[in-house]
Amino acid sequence: MAIQAAPEDVQVATKPLLQVQGLTMSYGFGDSENKILNDLNLDVNDGEFVSIVGPSGVGKTTLLRCLSGLIQPRSGTVSVGGEVINGPHRDLAVVFQDYSRSLMPWMTTLENVAFPLQGRGVGKKERNETAEKNLAAVGLAGQGHKYPWEMSGGMQQRVAIARALAYNAKVLLMDEPFASVDAQTRFDLEDLVIDLQATLGVTIILVTHDIDEALYLADKVIVLAEKPATVVDVIETGFGDHRDQVETKADPRFADARARILHRLRDH
Amino acid sequence: MTDTALRSAPKPGTGTRARRPEAERVRSRPAQVALNVLQRAWLIVVVFAIWWIASADSTNVFIPSLESILTSLGRDLFNGVIAEGAAYSLGNLAAGLLIAVAVGIIGGLILGETKRLREIVDPVIHFFRSVPQAALVPLIIGAFGIGQGPKIYTIAFACMWPVLLNTIDGVLGVEPTIRKFSRVYRIPRGLHFRKVVLPAALPQIVAGVRVALPIGITVMVVSELFAANKGLGFYILNSSATFMVPETWAGALLVGVIGYILSLLFVVLERRILSWYFKSGAK
Amino acid sequence: MKTSTKSLDWGLTTQRLLAVAALLAIWQVIIWSGTLPSMTPGVAALASSIGASLASATFWSALAQTMTAAVSGWLIAVAVGTVLGLLIGSVRALDRSTSILIDFGRSFPVLALMPVVIMLLGATAQMETVVVALSCLWPVLVQTIYGARRMESAVVDTVRIFQIPALLRFRRVLLPSATPFIATGIRISASISILVAVGVEVLSQTPGIGRQITLAQQAQRWDSAFAYLFFAGLVGWSIASLLNFAEGRILKWNRQNND
Repeated sequence: MAIQAAPEDVQVATKPLLQVQGLTMSYGFGDSENKILNDLNLDVNDGEFVSIVGPSGVGKTTLLRCLSGLIQPRSGTVSVGGEVINGPHRDLAVVFQDYSRSLMPWMTTLENVAFPLQGRGVGKKERNETAEKNLAAVGLAGQGHKYPWEMSGGMQQRVAIARALAYNAKVLLMDEPFASVDAQTRFDLEDLVIDLQATLGVTIILVTHDIDEALYLADKVIVLAEKPATVVDVIETGFGDHRDQVETKADPRFADARARILHRLRDH
Repeated sequence: MTDTALRSAPKPGTGTRARRPEAERVRSRPAQVALNVLQRAWLIVVVFAIWWIASADSTNVFIPSLESILTSLGRDLFNGVIAEGAAYSLGNLAAGLLIAVAVGIIGGLILGETKRLREIVDPVIHFFRSVPQAALVPLIIGAFGIGQGPKIYTIAFACMWPVLLNTIDGVLGVEPTIRKFSRVYRIPRGLHFRKVVLPAALPQIVAGVRVALPIGITVMVVSELFAANKGLGFYILNSSATFMVPETWAGALLVGVIGYILSLLFVVLERRILSWYFKSGAK
Repeated sequence: MKTSTKSLDWGLTTQRLLAVAALLAIWQVIIWSGTLPSMTPGVAALASSIGASLASATFWSALAQTMTAAVSGWLIAVAVGTVLGLLIGSVRALDRSTSILIDFGRSFPVLALMPVVIMLLGATAQMETVVVALSCLWPVLVQTIYGARRMESAVVDTVRIFQIPALLRFRRVLLPSATPFIATGIRISASISILVAVGVEVLSQTPGIGRQITLAQQAQRWDSAFAYLFFAGLVGWSIASLLNFAEGRILKWNRQNND
């Protein structure tokens, strides 16, 4: 993780999985130009869990949309595995905040999870098996016949996560994934994501406005602030693989890091 | 047309949000506007041109050239023949619609507020609104003659049902919290109707009138095509009976244009009446 | 309007029948009072000619003729409207280009074209079908365009992220998400089809219910004219209820939108 662009002479093998260089994004032109992101550089290594935290309206969602290839930045590049992306990419899956809208109500849960595989031409039997397996991984074994709207918000978000996992991308991008569920469900989902990351080794980039969530989940927390958004701090959490909603949050390092982020955000 | 299309159907706009302003807007503003106008207008121009050219030397007596249609339309528009007929027809339409709206709103408010009565008359209402309006024309004209009154009543009868049904739906759709508020603060019944229920149901009511308008125009023309001695429909019928083919076409086109203009005017009116509704984003 | 028909409510049914009886009584009183023109039939005459119609071959063939024209015109409109609508609604440039033309078409009272259409096609069943199809096309087209245009932005993003190929996108995303709107268009146009078919028959004397009503009226057989009118209403009502029911069954998933 580095704020500066990686030096050019780094060997290919050690290159970060996802690399952002000089990313600048704005809407409008001329007098009405509204700059959202200014010259962002990030490196995310394979298997890393990175949180991007910042106040509402700082441009987190715009950043995530650039990372996922849904929008093209004004300047700068996003690359995955050394390949500069110019649109949605095979190695990038996204879990949206709006789970109830991103799941298709006319498909059963199983069909929803299997749909991206169908798009890739995977046969019916195989894709249903994969979907069933991933539903089980998120704790929804045997629930594939249900429709999303027959499930609670937390369960729907599990389905969305299963869908992203089934796509088997190298990087999982999550946009405020737990913002619309109640606190207890949120904790459950956070722990689910931690477990999944540990067992599957997938790289996760999660965007949130919740400092506690960012710290609790991630190996590294990137703090965004100012207008246009820039990286104002990078914190290595160092909590290791074992996390607990009570213990980890009571850790003095947790309190220190949180105070540091709050200061950062207040000063900017 | 006879459908209220608002209860069981998904409302246009529910559950969907406008697409985000994405990054693709690259062109500058004036160019964008010009392109917009061009994109919307070109097809009309093409259709018009094709019609003009294709019909220019038509030998079929029933398909006159567009040029001759427009010539007769222009002539009759300026010599007052059409103006008189249009005034008569549109007067009937306005009167019929007015009656329909008044009866529909009052009936709808009453039925919407009294559950039992609504349930009892529900099948009767649905039966009446399913009666093909055009089939009433020979009966009403046969019984009451070809005067203005019967035509107005036919229009009113046909247009009443969508207004009535939509008003009922609108009243039923009033936010329960607002109803509770009205009860808790003991708003008097009359005031409650005028200031709470009516405005809250207004978007639905207006939608009902929007459905009623084309029905009214259709019934207006049909009643005049069936039997009349005045009006736009009579102009069409009369010219077709006397083999003035371009005039027949001109009359039919004119009714279409009038229908289009009225629907545009209605949109403007709707925007004004319901400005709070559109601005609040309740849609 | 929603009615509670979960379990059959006998009290309600009785009251409904009473309401109908009251309407008929009022009708009879008006007839007796002489306010209406003398030829309007009383309740008894009406009932007997409704019964007589059911036994008459003329009635059934008129009904068949009206239904054939209405249904075939409606089916043509549904097929053309859905295909065109999906195409127009999903291609933005096409949507813009056609918007004025479609606004014009939908507000055009097609029955006003009757004299012109009769000149071109004659007073035939085909002509009737064409007019019905032309009238039914607009609601289907407009609703389908609406449905295709209004895709959830989250769904659009999802489809892009998972790089769903165009054909699959059309079949599994665009089509189902537009279906509730298409269904509404189909339902609206079904009512219109009967209405227009009868209207065409009244105006052009093409065989069918509408013509029978006109003929009965001219022959001063008001009772049978009213009976035919009653059946026309009944058919329209049955079709509307049937489609409403079918829509509720087929679009199970769409319940969430109404919650």
